[in-house]
Formats: sequence, C-alpha cells, structure tokens
Amino acid sequence: MERTNLVEELRQIVGPRGVVNDPHALMTYDADGCVMDTGVPQVVVLPTSTVQVSGVVQLAARYGLPVVPRGAGTGLTGGATAMFGGIVISTARMDKVREVDIRNGRVLCQPGVINFELSQQLKPYGYQFAPDPSSQKACTVGGNIANNSGGPHCLKYGITASHVYGVEMVLADGTVIWSGDGSPAVSGYDLTGVIAGSEGTIGLVTAAWLKITRLPEAVRVVLALFPDIAGASNAVSQVIASGLLPSALEMMDRLVIKAVNDMYKLGMPDSAGAALLIEVDGVEDGLDELLNDVTAVCWRNGAIDVRPARTLAEQNQVWAARKNAFGAMGRLSPTYYLVDTVVPRTRLPYTMEQVGRISKEYDLPIANVFHAGDGNLHPIILFDRRAKGQNQRALEAATSIMHVSIEQGGVISGEHGIGVEKQDYMTLLFSTDDLAAMAGLHQSFDPKDIFNPGKVFPKGRGCGELAALRKAGVAWIE
Amino acid sequence: MNPLTSQIASIVGTSYVIDDPSGYPAYAVQGRISTLVVAPGSVEELAHVVAAAHAAGVAVIARGGGTMQAWGRPPATDFIIVQTTRLSHVCTYEPDDLTISVEAGTSLQALNTLLDTNNQMLPLDVPLPARSTVGGVLATAMDGPRRLGYGTARDLLIGVQVVEATGRISKAGGMVVKNVSGFDMMKLYTGSLGSLAIIVSANFKLLPRPRAAATIACAFSSSADAFALARAIYESQLTPVAVEYLFGPHPQPLSLSGRGVGGEGCLLAIRAEGLPAAVERHVRDVAAFAERAGATSVSVLRDEAHTAAWAAINDLPQTFSLAEGELLLRLSCLPADLERALADASPLAVRHGLALTVAARALSGIAYLRVRGDDEGALRQFHADLLAHWPQVAILAGSPAIMAEAPIWGANIPNLALMRRIKQEFDPDNRLNPGRYVV
Repeated sequence: MERTNLVEELRQIVGPRGVVNDPHALMTYDADGCVMDTGVPQVVVLPTSTVQVSGVVQLAARYGLPVVPRGAGTGLTGGATAMFGGIVISTARMDKVREVDIRNGRVLCQPGVINFELSQQLKPYGYQFAPDPSSQKACTVGGNIANNSGGPHCLKYGITASHVYGVEMVLADGTVIWSGDGSPAVSGYDLTGVIAGSEGTIGLVTAAWLKITRLPEAVRVVLALFPDIAGASNAVSQVIASGLLPSALEMMDRLVIKAVNDMYKLGMPDSAGAALLIEVDGVEDGLDELLNDVTAVCWRNGAIDVRPARTLAEQNQVWAARKNAFGAMGRLSPTYYLVDTVVPRTRLPYTMEQVGRISKEYDLPIANVFHAGDGNLHPIILFDRRAKGQNQRALEAATSIMHVSIEQGGVISGEHGIGVEKQDYMTLLFSTDDLAAMAGLHQSFDPKDIFNPGKVFPKGRGCGELAALRKAGVAWIE
Repeated sequence: MNPLTSQIASIVGTSYVIDDPSGYPAYAVQGRISTLVVAPGSVEELAHVVAAAHAAGVAVIARGGGTMQAWGRPPATDFIIVQTTRLSHVCTYEPDDLTISVEAGTSLQALNTLLDTNNQMLPLDVPLPARSTVGGVLATAMDGPRRLGYGTARDLLIGVQVVEATGRISKAGGMVVKNVSGFDMMKLYTGSLGSLAIIVSANFKLLPRPRAAATIACAFSSSADAFALARAIYESQLTPVAVEYLFGPHPQPLSLSGRGVGGEGCLLAIRAEGLPAAVERHVRDVAAFAERAGATSVSVLRDEAHTAAWAAINDLPQTFSLAEGELLLRLSCLPADLERALADASPLAVRHGLALTVAARALSGIAYLRVRGDDEGALRQFHADLLAHWPQVAILAGSPAIMAEAPIWGANIPNLALMRRIKQEFDPDNRLNPGRYVV
C-alpha cells in the first residue's frame, strides 16, 4: 500500500501536526533507552485522544502494519522500539491529569503524564503516586503500567500493578474497553492486572485510574557505610527482622560511592565498600526510636559510619545521590550497560561475589546499585564501546550475571521488563508450556499480533505458534 | 468401577477415591453430587487426574476446604471433584527472604502458624482460616479487613503453578518480590474461580509481624456518625490497617461493656499495628475522633481480646454454613459511595421484611450483606432492587434456586466478549468449573 496514502489518512485522524514522517526525525525514534536494538518506524503519530488512537489502530490493521506504543522512550529493553517498522504511537500529547478524586483515593490520567509530575501535582493535596522509578522525571505512567514499574519505595508500597484501579485501552481491532474504575471487586477476570506488565503487546492504554497514596506524616533516613557488602546485607536482614518494613532499602557499592561522592560532595570515606540507605516512614510516633534501633543494627554489623538524616534537606541530599547514581556513572566510563535482575535477598552477598568474579573475568569494572530490600540488583557494566571488543565482552558479562542470578533462584527482570533485550532469556526461566500459557493470554487480546510484535516471547517463537501447542491434546495419554 | 474411575484410582490409589459420593453431602456443589471425588497426593497426580478426566470428556471442579463452594452458579454438567487438601507441603521457606512457596491445599491457619514461628505473617484474613485453603483464597480472591493496610491476595502473590484443563502443568512469576518476566498470569488466575486452571502451588511475599497491635471499637447510634468517623480517619495522617463497619448483632468478642452480650447497631472497628508508640498514637487519635463523631462508647482491645475480635470479624462473610432463607451478598463500589449504598440497603431490607447484617471495609468500597427472611420472593426482590442502583452486587451464597436463576454476578458485566475469548483459550471445552462464573 502506498506510503503517501498512509500518511494522508493518518493526518486525517490526528491532524497534520500529529504525524512525523520526515526520515531524519524518524531516526530519533529508532530506539528507546536500550541502544543495542534499533528499528526505524515507518511513521510516528502523536494523537491527543482515545478516539484518535482507535482510528490509528484500525488503520494500521487495514494496512497490515504493526503498532508500537511509546511513552517517553526511557525503557531499557527495547520495548518502545519499532523492531519491525510500522507505526509508533507516541503518547507525548496525551499528557493531562484529567481528574483528582481525593475522596476515592484515585486520579484519572492520560498515559503520557510524567510520573514525577503526577506526584508533584498531588503533593498539595498531601498525596503521591507511590511507584517511583529512578527515571521518574522523564518516564510516563503509561510506560509504568506497561512495564509494571518498580522504584525504591515499592518495597513497602508495592509495584505499579498494585496502584492501577482500571484502564481504558484500545484493543487490536480499535475497540475501546474500560477494565475498572476504582471499585475493588469487579466480577470477572482481572483484566487490569494482566494489562499491567504486558509491555504494550496487547493494546494501548489511553487512560488510567491510578491509586494515590497519602504522603506519610514523617520520614527518617539513615545512610550507613560498611567495609563490604556482606555486613550491609546482614544489617538489612536484621532491620527487617525487627518487625518493620522500611519504606526503602537501597545499597551502593564502592564504585558507585566513588562516583556519587565526587558529584554530590557527600564526603564518604574511601574505605567504604558499601553504602546502605534505609528509609522508614509512618506517623511521627515511634520513628525516632526506630531510627535509633536501625542505627544500632548498623553499628552492630560493622558499619564504619552511620549518618541519620533527620531534616528534609539532609534526606534530599542522600536520596539525590541514590536517584542520580546512574547519571554519575559518566564519571567512571563513557558507556555503561545496566543489568536488571533479581535474586532472593539471602543470595545477595553470594551473587555480588560472583559479579565481582565476572568483572575480573571479563576485565570490565562493574558498579552496583540495588534495591537491597527486594533483591533487585543493577550491576552496571562499565566500558567504552569505541574500544575494540568491549561491546561484546559487556554483553557476555551481562549474560553470565543473568545465569548466576537464575542459578540463585532469581528471575530475568526485576523492573525493566523483557522487551527485546531479554526475550531470549525467557527460556532460561520458563518451559514451553509456561510460555504457551502466556501466549494464550496474549492471543485472547491480540491474535493478529498488531501490538508491539516480536517482544517478550523468544525470537522466532510467535504467540500463535506457542498458543497452538496447548491445543494439542492432553498432557498424559494412557 | 467405570473406566475413568479405575484409571484415576490407579493414579492416586483406591483409598483416595470416593466412587459413590452420594453418601458424602459435604462434597455436593450447589446441591449437585459429583460422579466421584479424588484426593491426589501431589501436583503430578493432580495433573494426571485432570488429564484423564479431560480425555474422558468429564468436567473437573477443584475443591479445597469447601468454604466457598457456595459461590457461583450450579455446575453446568456432570463433574468430578478434585480435592486439593493433600497438597499441603511447604515447598520453600527461607524466612530471611520474606517469601514462601506452599502447595494450594494448605490451610491459611496452618500457613500463618508456621509464619508466626519466625515472627512473620501473610495478612489474608479470610473467613474460616482453619478450613480455607490457599488455592481457594486465590481462586475466589476473597479479601479480608486488612486489605486496607496490606492489599489483597492479588498484591501478595508473586508466583503460581497451575494445572491446566488438559492436565498440562505450567507456572509463572517466581520467588522474588520484584518480577517483570513475562505476563502476569498470577493476576489472571486470582479470582478466576478455577475456571481457567487449577492452582496447585503459590508463592507469596511476606511481612514481618508488627511489634504491637490494638483495636479501637466505637459504637454509634447511626451509620452516618460511624462513617463520619471513618472519614475523619481517612483525612488524617493515621495509617490503620483495617477500618470495619459492622451493622447488626455484634460478634460476641465485640460486645461492648455497658451493652452486654448481644449488643447491636453500628460499630466501627479500627485495627492499628506497628511500632508500639505508633499504635498508641492511633488509639489516642481514633478515640478523640470517635468522641467528636458522637460515639456512644469506645473500647480499646489488646492481646487476646484483640485477636478474638478480628477472628470473629473475619468470619462474618463466611459462606460455609448458610441458614434457611439467607443470602450473602457482596457489594462493591467507589469507597466514598459506600455509605450511601448501605443507606440504600438498610431501609430496603426493612421494606421487604428482611433482617440485615453488614460487615464492610469502610474505606475500601466493599460490603458483605447477610439478609435473611422466610419469603424467597422478598429475598429476590431485595436483590433486584439493590442491583438496580448498585450494579456491582454479587450473590455469593443463597438457595439453589436463587443461585441458578438470579443475576448473581451483577448487572451489565463489562468486557464479556474479551473474557469469553480468554476462557476459550484456556478451557475451550469448558471442563473447569463449567457454568459457575461469568463466562
């Protein structure tokens, strides 16, 4: 079909300003935060309404083109990349908070609302949107829903899926559905629940009722420095065993400490092998006592320095160091590859030892920031992609880390999703039967694979083919 | 023995098959007797049994403690019962990880007793925890008062293993609390009433047991006053883990001094847990708010009295034993609309000559209504009238006739076409709990 016809028809739907088809401009959409996998779309559209999105999807189906939803493009696994061309639907112009409903603890947003800005808008009411990924100043709530995003505060407050009451979604045939609105027990299957984390492969969310969370009355933060990760990990276990779930538990290793120390002038000693950031929140009563308990736990586990951050300014400084840690990596090397994996918490010390071994084996420094409370680790492989062979070594090091993580009872993605980057690791975790069940779910929504094809499932294993395996009779025949 | 029965007996052993269940009324589902009852001893046996049934064209209903088999329409065809309670092993439990993997036939009480030994908890406060199983709680997505503080099974489930309609075993999720590896099948199976697959084991994230806890029970002469207290709590900085509105005869542990046993009327029970100083803060503030809202009495319960109060409250929505002429309804709405919904229900019950008891999650938008009367016509009319204004009313338990004929899952259920497609993908031959749920 004629490309010019396509563009003209798209202009009819979204208006002339809503279509990007200049080849140079299209190249800026050829990747998200995962620069290893690129794909240029045929055209990019920026709708402003659900009706427009539905029109575009129906048009795509007529032309036989895939549709790739895209929020801010901060994803790290190629989830928003048009690997097979097609139409990228950007939510950049659907960025309105439609309704703040404090009485019902919910807010209605378009998908392009930026996570941090949502919380800023809720702040005067005394509320926040609890999921707080490190990329929150850029990422969108639509992307958060697609990836079931996490963030440091998800330890206590839960991940994005626990904060979505219902979504409006455009399906593969252009139909628009609402999966819920905030009433808790809708009869039928939990469509909202399966849409969260589906990485844009079964529809495009055009609006969402999100749960809003009361800002706590009081917050206390402790930054503790340890000679090594083992001591810090033990402190983590004891804090939790004391009967309170902290609102955040973050760890940084020697290399990260060095980078953020330089950038934020935190004055942390060079002998620090691990820095632990512990945050507790709740009503004021008892928090100072708890802070003292936490401090004592740290000292008991060999801390070399413990700094309670009582004032907001002190807390912000400590958090800035953590939230901007990835940005500080530029002090250490020109390129980095951020690995996202999770292990059970008790396996953290051993896994970190193995990461150290892998670093030596591939002769690449690896810095570590992680959500120590939930075992979600982020080894940051530092390299220079201009140097010969380093790209390859970085990839191989990442693969080794993934294998270690799975051996230790972990999974292949804690927060960043599968997208393209991890699709071939799916078979390390899931059997064909497991994948077939997921494919079946996918097929119920999008049997023609219109949305974001070629993601999540292993390359070359189409959803249709996988789902069909389940129809092949019973599991045991006598 | 017919061929399927002997095949199943050879899989699990004859002592675990009841080939004439007519003498065992406990296994009846909505008054229908199954063709046989089988209790597999392992996931593999269960899968093998389901495969055999599938090959023979026979439907399967999974049953745990049987506490919520009253839910749903009568089975659409003949069926066998797969009794899950022999699957009661703990597969993995490393306390420091704050996760556990258990087989689906484990009772909630057994699970929490184990967790207690490590000062941990899984705060799913379902009715009849000594009988209710993990599988049943997940299949029904039954909630508890502490959903306010900790979420429901949907939020605490991190991994699942199921047996599909054909006997295939598949899993999703894992043993870690953060996981975006593939589709979230846990959300699909939770609340699906065993109509898509049979849950055989489940992984949960756990919480540390709080250091202190207390209940503040506040009696009111009107529901308006009780909800004024609920609103005051909502607007404050307090973080109670449960705020329950009760109407009708109070459960014995909550009978307040001065009223004696059999106190009744409106009660708001607030549960506070956490640091000792934080709990005391809640006790002080809630009592002050309650007084301002016109409470007729306020009692603070601790230790055994506190535990007993919540054990009684948690049991209120039970559907295991239903009296003659009784309906158990679940009403779901936006939290701020709950007061109005109950204000509608109350005079409606009076108008139809019915007795009404309410247990509601006051800040969550869920209420369980127990209505009772001799006239079945009145019961049906009450339900129809309520449904006309509040479309998300489900009848969780009632007479066989009502369960078969009334719109028990609510009015105008959205997205039925999509849900049918899901059912078609997972159970195209309609063998799993056929006819019981919305599709």
